Amino acid sequence: MIGEIDVRAVLSRSVCEFHSDLVTRSTGRAVRDGIEAHLQEHPDITIVVLDFSAVRVLDCSCADEIVAQLLLRSAEAGAGRATYFLLRGLDEAHADQIDEVLRRRGLALAAEERDGGKRLLGLATDGMRAAWERVASRGSAAPEELAAELAWPVADARDALDALAGRGVVIRADAHYLPLSAA
Amino acid sequence: MTAVVEVPQSFDDRSFEQVAAGFAALGDEPRVLLDAHATEWASPFALVSLLCAGQTLLQRHGTRPLLTVPADKDVTHYWARTGFFREAEALFEIHGAVPRVRQPAESAVLLEITPVRVAGDVHTVVDRIQDRAAAILTAELGLEAKATLGFGMALSEACQNIVEHAGGGGWVAVQAYSWRRLGRRVAVIAVADAGVGFRRSLEATQARRYGERWGDGAALEAALIQGVSRFRDPGRGQGFRGIRKYLDHWDGKISIRSGTARIATVRAWDEDLPLREGLAAFPGAQLQLVIPAAEREVAR
Repeated sequence: MIGEIDVRAVLSRSVCEFHSDLVTRSTGRAVRDGIEAHLQEHPDITIVVLDFSAVRVLDCSCADEIVAQLLLRSAEAGAGRATYFLLRGLDEAHADQIDEVLRRRGLALAAEERDGGKRLLGLATDGMRAAWERVASRGSAAPEELAAELAWPVADARDALDALAGRGVVIRADAHYLPLSAA
Repeated sequence: MTAVVEVPQSFDDRSFEQVAAGFAALGDEPRVLLDAHATEWASPFALVSLLCAGQTLLQRHGTRPLLTVPADKDVTHYWARTGFFREAEALFEIHGAVPRVRQPAESAVLLEITPVRVAGDVHTVVDRIQDRAAAILTAELGLEAKATLGFGMALSEACQNIVEHAGGGGWVAVQAYSWRRLGRRVAVIAVADAGVGFRRSLEATQARRYGERWGDGAALEAALIQGVSRFRDPGRGQGFRGIRKYLDHWDGKISIRSGTARIATVRAWDEDLPLREGLAAFPGAQLQLVIPAAEREVAR
C-alpha cells in the first residue's frame, strides 16, 4: 500500500502550525517522530511518499534528521520487511540539501521534483544512475532489456539493478524492476 | 581609571581587528569605554561583534561597559534602525542621544539585529526574512530567482551554529548595501556570539588528530573546509558544507573569526587572505556571508 505524507502538515502538527520552513535539527527530529508515528499507526504502508510541495525552506540539518535518519531508522526497525521511500514536490534547493545529506551517509533515494523531473539523490555509481534513469523512463526493465539498451553485459545490468533494489530505489517484481512511482 | 577601546571611523570586518586588539589589551581593567563617537559607518558584522564585546565585558566584570554613540546623527539614526541600541541597552551604559526610529517599508536592513538563543529563534529569523530576501536578491542584486531558495538555508545554518555550538546566545543581522571594496551591491548575513568559540567546541574530538597544529586556525579549517563537528555522528557538520555550496554557486564568500584566527573562502573579486592566525584574541565566533550582485547589476 502507498501512503502519502504531507511533510508541511506534519511540521504544523509536530512543531507549530505557523511554520512553513523545515529548519533546525530539533524541528527535523520532531517531524521525523511525527512521520514514524504515522507509519506505526499504518503498518500496511510499504511505499511512503514524502511530499515537500508545501515546504519553503529546508536546511541541511533538518534534511539529515528527517530524510537520512528516517531511512536509517527504518532499515534498523524493519529487518525482513521492506519499506520504500519516495520524495515528491522538491524544489532545486531541497533536492540539493537532501542529495548532500544522503551522500554523506551513503544512502540513496528516488525523487520527483516540482517541475516533474525525476532524480536519483544520494550516493550511487554512474552505472546505477544510468540504470535507474532507464528504469524510471521505461516504467520497468528486465536485466536483458537494460543490457540491450545500454550495450552492457547482462550480468552488469543485473548487478546494477540489484544494487538499486538493495538501496530501495527500485522494486524487484519477478524478472522485472520497477520504479517506485510505478509501483 | 577607564580603559578606552576606540571604534574605527569605518567599522567593518577588517577594521574590527582594531577593536579586537584594543579588547585584548584591556587586561583586568574593570571600567571600559567603547568609544564610537567618531564612527561614520558600521557593517552588520561590526555591530553584532560590538554586542559580543559588550556581553563579554558585562559577564567578566558584572558591570556594563560604557559606549559613546556616534556623533553624527545620521549614523546614530542608522544604528537605531538596525536594532543595535535595542540590544545594546542591556549590555552597555550608553552615552549620547539614541533616536527612536521606525523601520521604513523599503530599507537596506533586511533583518534587524535579532537575538538567537534557541532553535525557535532560527524559525523566526528565517520566516521573517524570506519574502524580503526574494525581492532584494532578484530585484536589487540581479540574481536568478533560485538564489532565494538557498538563502534561507544559509541563514538558518549560520544561526544554528550559535544554538548548537556557542554555549550561549548571539545575534544575527542581514542587510543589503553597496560594498565599496567590490563596487557592487551585496546582501550580507552577519552572525556573532561571545561563546566558547570553534577551538573549544571541537577540542574534545579533534585536538588529538591535529596534534601540535591544533589551535583556533586548525579548528576553523576543520569546521569550514572539512565539515567536522564536535559530534562523532557522520551526519553532523553539514551546515557549513551547505553554506559553502550555496555561496560557491552565487560567487559568494564566507569568513569566520574565532579566537585568534580568521578563515575565508576567497573569491576572484576579493583580496582577502584564506587564513589568518595570531590575531588578537576575541571571544566566541563571528561569521559573515556576502552574496554579491550579478556582474551586470540591475540599475537602481
